[in-house]
Amino acid sequence: MGASQSAFSEQELDDYQTLTYLTKKEILHVHKRFATLDSGAVGSDKNAKLPFTKVKELPELKVNPFKDQIMKVFSSSGDGMTFEDFLDMMSVFSDDAPKAVKVEYAFRIYDFDGDDMLSSADLKELISRLTGEDNALNEEQMQQLIDNILEEADLDDDDSLSFAEFEHVISKAPDFVSSFRIRL
Amino acid sequence: MSHPYQNTGDFDTIPMHQFNPAFQSASLERQSALPPDGTHYEFATYGYPETRAHLEPPGPELHRGGFRSLHRTQTTDNRYGDNRETKDDIAMENLLKRLPSRQLESAANNAAKTLHRRHSRNKSRHGAIYHSTLRDGDLEDMIGSSSLLDADEEERVEEAIRSTPATMATRRSMIQKLSSRKRKSPGFMKRMNYSIGMGWKHFKDNMAELKYTMQLWHSHLKKIEGHFGTNVLSYFVFLKWLLLINIPTLLLTLGFIVAPQIIYRWLQQDTLGYISSEKFSGMELLTGAGWFEPTELYYGYYTNKTIQVIGSKSYKMQVAYLFTCGGYYLLTIIILGQSILSSYRKYYIEAGGFQSMQIVFKVLCSWDHGLTSAEAVKLKHKSVYLEFKEYLAGANKDKMRKTMIDRCKLFWLRVFTNVVVLVLIGASGYLVFYLSGTQLNRNTLFSNQTTSAAGVSTNETKNPWLLLVLPLCIGLIHRIMPIMFDFIEGYEQYEIPKSELYMHLSRSMVLRVTTLSVLVIYWYTEVSQSPDVPCWETFMGQELYRLVIVDFIFTLFSTLISELIRRLLVGRVKRVTHPTFALARNTLELIYSQALCWLGTFFAPLLSLIVIIKLIIIFYIKMISVLQNCKPSERPWRATWSHTIFLGYLFLFYLLTTVAVACGIIFIKPSIGCGPYQGKDVMYSVVPELVDSWKEEYAWISTVIYFVSSPGFIAAILVALGMGVYMIRTIMMGRQEAVQRLKQQLVLEGKDKTFLLNLLNQVTERHTCTSVSTTVRPLTQQISPQDDIVSPGGRVFVRSLAESTLGGR
Repeated sequence: MGASQSAFSEQELDDYQTLTYLTKKEILHVHKRFATLDSGAVGSDKNAKLPFTKVKELPELKVNPFKDQIMKVFSSSGDGMTFEDFLDMMSVFSDDAPKAVKVEYAFRIYDFDGDDMLSSADLKELISRLTGEDNALNEEQMQQLIDNILEEADLDDDDSLSFAEFEHVISKAPDFVSSFRIRL
Repeated sequence: MSHPYQNTGDFDTIPMHQFNPAFQSASLERQSALPPDGTHYEFATYGYPETRAHLEPPGPELHRGGFRSLHRTQTTDNRYGDNRETKDDIAMENLLKRLPSRQLESAANNAAKTLHRRHSRNKSRHGAIYHSTLRDGDLEDMIGSSSLLDADEEERVEEAIRSTPATMATRRSMIQKLSSRKRKSPGFMKRMNYSIGMGWKHFKDNMAELKYTMQLWHSHLKKIEGHFGTNVLSYFVFLKWLLLINIPTLLLTLGFIVAPQIIYRWLQQDTLGYISSEKFSGMELLTGAGWFEPTELYYGYYTNKTIQVIGSKSYKMQVAYLFTCGGYYLLTIIILGQSILSSYRKYYIEAGGFQSMQIVFKVLCSWDHGLTSAEAVKLKHKSVYLEFKEYLAGANKDKMRKTMIDRCKLFWLRVFTNVVVLVLIGASGYLVFYLSGTQLNRNTLFSNQTTSAAGVSTNETKNPWLLLVLPLCIGLIHRIMPIMFDFIEGYEQYEIPKSELYMHLSRSMVLRVTTLSVLVIYWYTEVSQSPDVPCWETFMGQELYRLVIVDFIFTLFSTLISELIRRLLVGRVKRVTHPTFALARNTLELIYSQALCWLGTFFAPLLSLIVIIKLIIIFYIKMISVLQNCKPSERPWRATWSHTIFLGYLFLFYLLTTVAVACGIIFIKPSIGCGPYQGKDVMYSVVPELVDSWKEEYAWISTVIYFVSSPGFIAAILVALGMGVYMIRTIMMGRQEAVQRLKQQLVLEGKDKTFLLNLLNQVTERHTCTSVSTTVRPLTQQISPQDDIVSPGGRVFVRSLAESTLGGR
């Protein structure tokens, strides 16, 4: 195995493999990608903590309208991402991660104000990030859209989606897993 | 068993901020937005939604429960500070626990948990469900008293830890705890079990590793996904899937038909082929005739003899040929059926039909997190925007109904256009029929020459281009007709672009089915009877070969014209815009080419090899063309749904081609002078002969076969199947009804909770007796008399409960 000359010992790789949904090769590949973000810092400490500004340079994140939320959710310290955080992120976004895990993180990413509910303000933010700045919906359209969403998904009529409701909806969405994914 | 929801304490192992750093600040902000004086006001307005958050059904979110309670306690502490309010809070919490609906929920939860434990042994890596997400308390619980976990158990615990949404450090400490636990006196059997299990696990890991390495075109697919998102990707994934289903079937034919034939030729020194005077000129690659004719490519070359391999071991070519083809179709249907089922389950069953939840899916699942190019992201924004607009337009349109006259007009218009389309398709069918008639004449001339004048140099009067007339015409028909359909559909005024698209696809599909069936019927009725054609099976194989090749050439040209040239014209000619990848059309072409392959494999066993090569080339060409020339489409496209539909089309084609081939085997007399079945009445007669030959040796087998194939038995099976289907359908309807009722129940429960909480507010208000009663939310508005009736606990119950709880203070 080519793992012997890598940055990690066999034991570490085993550990990572147990803790994530990735295979050893994939883990090494993730590390390679992590190193491209800041080869200096990662070269001296393989689990270096990179600031968000550096992590943002990952091609998939760079263009992602939810990048700040994604980084915030996966960061363990709140001000940067270590390799383990990064690996965690890639593991959740990988093909093998079960839907339940993806749903959990998706909920956190879309919960902008962090109150553990997707309120209509969260939905508004979500929609405006989805359509982008150039094609903003007007107030009325936005409201109609949010009303429709809540009508369909809000089962207990409290005008916001709880995690259970979110999960219920997503469990029926066939495209969720294929879109909530970053290929390695 | 510790219930994490009730146990807020065990959550403190996980630092708060990692969940959401914004969260604390959010709650603080909210606090500061409130007037500082009105403690009670706060409780009435803010306590209300928060407690409601607390009341969410805890079932699927065990691990979140603790978080939420902590959150709540924290905010309350910050907000009130004094003991009295906290006490109030605790009392409230106790009360909530005693609510009737809560009792039911926790009972259901426990049941679900036990059920999960029972089932989880069979759960695969992907089978993780929420209950398996772990927290410390659960971990202890799970490991329990057993000194050593068997591997299965350990894997389950690991899976649970893996799916725990905490940081890696936390999960690692969980694992370490686990491994420190298990170093105690294992028995021999347990150790054996453990090591076997671990070996199996390592094997599985290695397989996963191998799978990752073996992934075909992984980086290409990633690149495409990065630039175009999952929609365009689905075409390439479909292509790859087709390629992969062709490989096992190719191996089957190679192993059981082609290899024995080669061995036979080698053993017999058969001079039938390869010494033919035909020179390989290159033209054969297009026509498939001439030099290729006496080779393993076609049916006609295979022997009808029994091959003596070693000593007395023999290999009956006749039987092998038929059974290999049977196996080929069987294998295909297994793979196809399996993937259709899984796709169908994914889309229709799990999603509960596609009508419900439309907009929610659009909002929550529309972002492709795999996108990497800025251009694509811009277009994605645009596409999402258009999709929302389309949805809103559709939602508004529902309100304004069309007038009767308009609808009548539209109906007749569509009847008319459909008649036109049918006429067009019929005309194409006739054209194909006419052309194949003339084709036959030319071709018999051609093949007479080759057979009679083999070896003798002819005057080269034959023109191989003539052979290509029919396939070229069919290719043209398949390209031109869709344009006309497009033109017609412009007048049909479809409300939703999607229905227009599927109409178009269905029409193109019918066109292709028509041309192919005309050809097949012609081959079976005319060519197989014609005395001029020495070997109609080979002729048919050749025709299909040409169709495959010409289709390939057309695909290349259409890529070139519609994508490359169009891109070059952008900027120079005003009206030309950047081409987008025509996903539906391209996928349809793939399906058609696969149908040709299925139709032709019996008559040209190596056709699947040619199709594989074709698919590989198409993959690269399309990839380059897409990346160089196209830009992502602004039109929204649901990849999973369309995949199901395409699989459906593919299945339809599969059925038709199988029926066609089966008819050829069962009803049509094989050629006299060539192929494995020369001299038989029909090809199928090999099977009864084989069964008859077993009569002496294995009498019971033939008895069983006769019994199984008797009409009575088949009828009984059909009746049983019909009854089964009927029964399952009835069950399904019943369940649908049950689901509907449960949904209603859920809504009522929600109302229940609102109602109960309001009552609770009233009660606490009376007990705390503060002055700011004017600011209290007007509760009575929310309590409708209807709520009063449906609530399970009832107003009196709650009030007495609340009073007894709070009264004790």
